[in-house]
Amino acid sequence: MCGVGGILYKKIGNQGTSPVGKDLVKMLESMTHRGQDSSGFTVVGEDIDGDLVLRIWTDDPAQAADVLSMAEEALQKAGGVVRTRSAWGQFLRLTIDYEGEIPALAEAILNTPGVALHSIGETSEVIKDVGTPVAMDGIHSLSQMRGTHGIGHVRMATESRVDVNHAHPFWAYPFTDVTVVHNGQLTNYHKLKRMYEDQGHRFQTGNDSELIAVYLADKLANGDTLDSALRSSLSDLDGTFTYLVSTKDGLGYAKDQWSAKPLVTMETDDIIAIASEEIALRGVFNQEIDRVEPQNNEVMTWLL
Amino acid sequence: MVIVDAAGLTTRELNGRLKELAASGQEITVLNPHAGHNIAVGIFESCRIQITGSVGYYAASLLDGPEVAIDGNAGWALGENMMAGKITLTKDAGASVGSTMRGGELFVGGNAGARAGISMKGGTLIVGGNAGFLTGFMMQKGRIIVCGDVGEAVGDSMYEGAIYVGGEIGSLGTDAKTEEIGEDELLDILATLESHGIKQRYTFTKVVSAKKLYHFDSLERLEKTVI
Repeated sequence: MCGVGGILYKKIGNQGTSPVGKDLVKMLESMTHRGQDSSGFTVVGEDIDGDLVLRIWTDDPAQAADVLSMAEEALQKAGGVVRTRSAWGQFLRLTIDYEGEIPALAEAILNTPGVALHSIGETSEVIKDVGTPVAMDGIHSLSQMRGTHGIGHVRMATESRVDVNHAHPFWAYPFTDVTVVHNGQLTNYHKLKRMYEDQGHRFQTGNDSELIAVYLADKLANGDTLDSALRSSLSDLDGTFTYLVSTKDGLGYAKDQWSAKPLVTMETDDIIAIASEEIALRGVFNQEIDRVEPQNNEVMTWLL
Repeated sequence: MVIVDAAGLTTRELNGRLKELAASGQEITVLNPHAGHNIAVGIFESCRIQITGSVGYYAASLLDGPEVAIDGNAGWALGENMMAGKITLTKDAGASVGSTMRGGELFVGGNAGARAGISMKGGTLIVGGNAGFLTGFMMQKGRIIVCGDVGEAVGDSMYEGAIYVGGEIGSLGTDAKTEEIGEDELLDILATLESHGIKQRYTFTKVVSAKKLYHFDSLERLEKTVI
């Protein structure tokens, strides 16, 4: 079934960062009845030590350290200079200095066998894993992550298998800081996937939701604004969807033409919160609220 | 009057308590629903339940008799399959409000989402504000009264029953048409609205099935006799 959530702290003067990680964990944990097999988050607007932050994962538990080292070497050969490094289990987080093109960097990493690239961002990163948000928080210290905004997801897999890579969010490779979480199923996934692959786009998984990230990346590469890309998706994507997208500057959502998947939004002077269900908004606003339910064929974006 | 604090209770505990109290005939107030799901489900005794706050999905569904007053929003499927009784909601309801209801009265003070009154089989659904896409989809019986606008495809695939729209109609659904409202019919609607504090005398458009795709009264081949 899946649940989605997002939060944005509006810029008020020179405020630093906000407890985006903590908020997202609370919001998504309250929706584990919508999905418990995996969760994932994008935290945006962080203070990064370097030009880029990368999230890398290997599917090889036995050789994790070696495989991740190889990925790191490949990255360095491509011109990346590592500033900070943390590794735990099959996960690797790096912040680097890098002057070159993102696709070259990404390809170098992805050409390392057994390696998946969850995100490259200037100010945001994707953290995803099997398990519930609170369980993930224990492993990945999500509650300590601060930023300006972010999105999150709880998964009940319906179309593809359960593993770390198939969790959301999906990164709109090669656009730094563009990620997507999705509730629904895309019925023209295979057709569009073939079309994008023929055009040279890369898919890392068999998850239909990944298509949305590729679709948006393609639109953005062709000069579309995020808003216009979201709008075109209403007719180009077939199936049911409520999806949220995070970018460097903001958040957006798109709701399918059938109003098949839920969404509620709440805006105050300080915060914008959006989620599949009101109970998630109550994780951020612990009082009775006025929430809005977007209707079918609706798109909206908010910028910081 | 008995107060039940939903905070700290599981859904099963809360509903169990409500059923016990309903049987005893006392008026019940539920505090801190916290937009949780499945609150006040499956209660068959006539009783009065007041819920002070927003509820999640399937609130007050599968009822047969109670009067449930909710001060807040509701998620999807408020009052699903209500057999008899009354539900009132002060603010907005999500999609599929009054889904497959068979009797009783359901009043939404604010707006309702898509598929309001989907597959209704009786009773009256009233929306003070607007209702969404596919309102009255596959309706079989009953009345839907929307004071505001309705979205696209109102009354799509409806069999019987009627939808009264006070505002704009986004578009008519498949096999739906508009029809004149009788005077008595209109008076009845206005009286119903007034019972919920709505005194404005809206001009309603009545939407019913056009019955061009409706073949359920057709005889089977073997049932037809040669005259």
